[in-house]
Amino acid sequence: MPVVTVSQVNRYIGSKLKGDRILQGIMVKGEISNFVKHFKSGHCYFSLKDSESSIKAVMFASAASRLKFMPEDGMSVVVSGSISVYERDGAYQLYANDIIPEGAGKASAALEQLKKKLEKEGIFAPGHKRPLPYMPKKIGAVTSLSGAAVRDIINVLTRRYPLCELYAVNALVQGEGAPESICRGILKAEAAGCDVIIVGRGGGSAEDLGAFNTEQVARGIYGCKVPVISAVGHEVDLTIADLAADMRAPTPSAAAELAAPDISVIRENIDSYEKRAERAALLTFSRASDRFTALDSRLSAQSPESRLSLVEQKLSGLETRMGLAFERYTEKRSSELCEKIAKLESLSPLKVMARGYSLIYSGEALVRSSEDIEKGSEVTLRFDNGGAKAEITEKW
Amino acid sequence: METFEENMKKLGTIVAELEKGDIPLEKAVDLYGEGVKLSAVCKKQLDEAKIKITEDNGNE
Repeated sequence: MPVVTVSQVNRYIGSKLKGDRILQGIMVKGEISNFVKHFKSGHCYFSLKDSESSIKAVMFASAASRLKFMPEDGMSVVVSGSISVYERDGAYQLYANDIIPEGAGKASAALEQLKKKLEKEGIFAPGHKRPLPYMPKKIGAVTSLSGAAVRDIINVLTRRYPLCELYAVNALVQGEGAPESICRGILKAEAAGCDVIIVGRGGGSAEDLGAFNTEQVARGIYGCKVPVISAVGHEVDLTIADLAADMRAPTPSAAAELAAPDISVIRENIDSYEKRAERAALLTFSRASDRFTALDSRLSAQSPESRLSLVEQKLSGLETRMGLAFERYTEKRSSELCEKIAKLESLSPLKVMARGYSLIYSGEALVRSSEDIEKGSEVTLRFDNGGAKAEITEKW
Repeated sequence: METFEENMKKLGTIVAELEKGDIPLEKAVDLYGEGVKLSAVCKKQLDEAKIKITEDNGNE
């Protein structure tokens, strides 16, 4: 028989356990004791026990950080994980991947079942979701009137939309009778003429939200004749009420904001209406005025005055043209005349005679040639400055 | 007196009518006057609005 070391024994047992399929994927039910969370590493160490025995368990920080609750001593839980050997101590222990509080598992399974059932019926159908009115006259709030939720709703509506009326119906939001109370509240708000209803509460633990996870409340919301906004202050999981509602808000304040528009937006709307009305009216006016101007100018073009003035204009144009033409004509003629006069003057016999020439007339006829006269003829001499009679004594 | 919502709706209708553009001038003038009056009324209603709260405690 070979001799082995302690480490070899522990490692051998460890490998045996690792090879066991049952031990590698196991769910163990028990009660938590000696729970310690190592402050530095974040690993959790505890024991799981029942009436007869116990097993050491460890949950590493990475798995522990995924837990949605803090395990405590005395809690009945179901731990899922694997069983291996801690070789240093030669001890086997449960390595936990997840811890589920006992009962919570059953409740969540039942809730999932209910969700499926209602979904199949169409209670959550997107097609059934009704649009919220843009400017509700009367907003219903079904919640505890002693809670913070109703105060928040009043504050938001007072600031944003004081035009509305708030009909706040007191309802039990947790404990026995809460689902009935909530459903009655919805019916009352509906009967009071609300055009949108907020149903909810301000926060609370998973158990406190129980009423909003009931079939009764889901049907109450679904059956409501006006849109319902759910406001179950709980972000992590959607409640059945959230799924059935026409609109889901994370908090009652947010629900109030969804329910009503902001008055400042409405003021802007009014301003833009004013501007649009002014622009449209001005446009209509300017169109009418353009039409009038066009017609009026056509009309006045046809008036007797304008026709007369047109004729006058033509006439005066003709007159001007005529005047100009006449001026040009006379100018041309007068310069021609001047030229002729100058020429005439240069040809004047008087000028020639002034230079010492004289004219000889026989009777009335000018003597141009010696053949025109005979010896002994009497002729008249004309000088520049007078005349004389003479007798031809010789001719050749 | 009409509610704010009714007045807003009417104002919207008037603006849409004006924006059609093919209406007689007299009608445009009338509509514009009516619109200005309505918008003043709406603003006044907003200024004077005070939330009305009814608490129904008979539902425990």
